[in-house]
Amino acid sequence: MRIKQGSDSGSALICVLGTILVLSLIAGNVLFNCITRYNAASGQVRGWKESLYAAEAGGDLAYAEIRKTVFDPTHAFSGWTNSGAVYSNSPATFGRDNLTTSATVDPFYYDSSGNAWYRIRAKGVAPVLGLTRVTMDDRVDPGTRGDSLLRKIDFKYDHFIAAYGPNGDNSGKAIVSVSRPQIARRVELIAAPVTPFESPIKVLTSFYGPGSAALIDSYNSKNGPYYFGADNPSDPHYSDSHSGDVSVGGASFDLGGDIWGNVTTNGGNVTPNTRIHGTIDNNVPFTIPPYVMPSNLPPPSPSLTKITGNVTLTPSTAGSSGNPNFYLVSSFSGKLTIDQVGTAETYVAIHVTGDITGSIDVKPNVHVKIYFDGNVSVKAQDIVNESGLAGNLQFYGISPTDPTATQSIDIASPGNFSATFYAPSADFHINGNPDVTGAIVCKTFYENGNASWHYDRALAAEGERIDYRIVSYVEDMR
Amino acid sequence: MTFKSLQKTAGFTLAEMLVSVGVASIVLAAAVASSVSLQKSFSAADNYFATHMQQVRIVDYLSRDVNRGLSVTTSLDRQTVSISVPNYIIQAGDSEAMTNPSLIGTPRTPTVAYTSGSLQINYGASTSTVVYSLNNSSILRTENGAVTTIASSTDQLIPQTTDVELANTEYTSTAVTFMPTFTMSGSPAARTGTSLYGTAYLRNKRRG
Repeated sequence: MRIKQGSDSGSALICVLGTILVLSLIAGNVLFNCITRYNAASGQVRGWKESLYAAEAGGDLAYAEIRKTVFDPTHAFSGWTNSGAVYSNSPATFGRDNLTTSATVDPFYYDSSGNAWYRIRAKGVAPVLGLTRVTMDDRVDPGTRGDSLLRKIDFKYDHFIAAYGPNGDNSGKAIVSVSRPQIARRVELIAAPVTPFESPIKVLTSFYGPGSAALIDSYNSKNGPYYFGADNPSDPHYSDSHSGDVSVGGASFDLGGDIWGNVTTNGGNVTPNTRIHGTIDNNVPFTIPPYVMPSNLPPPSPSLTKITGNVTLTPSTAGSSGNPNFYLVSSFSGKLTIDQVGTAETYVAIHVTGDITGSIDVKPNVHVKIYFDGNVSVKAQDIVNESGLAGNLQFYGISPTDPTATQSIDIASPGNFSATFYAPSADFHINGNPDVTGAIVCKTFYENGNASWHYDRALAAEGERIDYRIVSYVEDMR
Repeated sequence: MTFKSLQKTAGFTLAEMLVSVGVASIVLAAAVASSVSLQKSFSAADNYFATHMQQVRIVDYLSRDVNRGLSVTTSLDRQTVSISVPNYIIQAGDSEAMTNPSLIGTPRTPTVAYTSGSLQINYGASTSTVVYSLNNSSILRTENGAVTTIASSTDQLIPQTTDVELANTEYTSTAVTFMPTFTMSGSPAARTGTSLYGTAYLRNKRRG
């Protein structure tokens, strides 16, 4: 008997293949979705963050140039393009992802001391790595977009130039293609001048303070003349009276009198006591760079080159804070009286290349800045500032170029005075019990007596710029 | 009579059929069950990633506004954040725009004012307020009345922001969590495990 073999064919393989196919489709779909989201996470989020880093780096570059206007004026904005008052630099490329940044800087405001306030507009651009597509999460709901609204990726064209113009002021709008998908972010920073007298006493290394009969407090000359009101909370000047701060960049601190303000040292051991009526922080380091002669003063007038005997100076013009009447003086041993020009606020700057041992009388409405290369040795009564406003008589000690050289300011009794001193390289000594209205920045501070200090809070907005700080940050989110 | 036709009639016994159908049903059921399970699992993974992207977006939105903020306040439950921001762009209705409509949509030039001995940079006479809030499954961003949904998920996204104000700086810490669909029990630990943290400093409140 012959039995024919049947042609039985199993479907198991087909079933298995079909199952694998279905699962593969599901897995592939999920993988595709995940890759798209990964693309967004790793590429677009990264580009969005890096473009801000780039923009802020551009802001830092511009800020460094602004600081050079104080510390290294001859090299400030070197290599930048100047158009009118606006400086701009070429885009700089940096980083592993080839980020680019550029910035423009313009002085948009001058304060009462003639110091420029700068506006920095910085742009940072980062490439968008990965797939060129919007994310799957772009549509949050039927009416709202998600990632596109936030990250604003330029896939083919620069949306900012097309919509707002290259400077964002609605002019120069154009369709400009981009060489690769990118994200650009823009920030605007404001660099404000740091003025020298933001606190009454700032000392680099050591402070030996007033005796037990003296005090350090504050007031605000814009609210009236000084009187003591620091211990009376109901006094209208009370809120201005507790800014008698003392900042020491070293650990050495000795005090006998009262401080109506805060005390900071760098490694000191100041502990709360009944004499310090403010906070104490022994961990506040700071540095003060050497002071150099400003380069933005006009050429000196030849009408005054020495101050010996009695000299009365009446400038030919009133001048201004940014363009004062400037004199270069080799010696200052006589008595100098500076008169007002008519009824105008009068501005005078004097550079004394030697020592100051004479006396000065500044009439009301006259604003004087004295820059000195040597030392100062006078009596308190030799400093006459008739307005009583310390900001009207400012002394600036030019730091010796030889770091081992010393500079000193010695003030003896009798008398009282209103003035400010900015001399970060000078040793300051005051003897007796002068009553001082003003502020001082020096290397060491030593009081032998009971001299009281009254800081005028209005000084915080006055004086020659000594540095710049960033005071405002805005992002142009368009 | 021939036996040939009988020889060609092949068949299975009832027992064979029952066994084969039974086995096939089990295999098919297993395949379908695993397929459904896998699809759920893949869907959950996909959803997890999608929600994670929304977490990132929430943190990025917040950090952008906090960076440019002048001040930040948070509600007691830490789910509503109010940020005061400069009015950088001139809008229709602003005083500058009334006198010169072409200024609408352009950056505003800042002004400097001294208040009690300290300086203040102002962009216009007033500031704008940006509010982040939770509304059911959506996270809303409201700026001057304009509401934008910045994230929306059925996974119960919850951002919580803490504002820390120090003497010379201020920052916010944000934690965004969600309840992943993986978790059947809805345990708190599952939510905690999804936490995404972000810290942003107010650039306008700088040290020193």
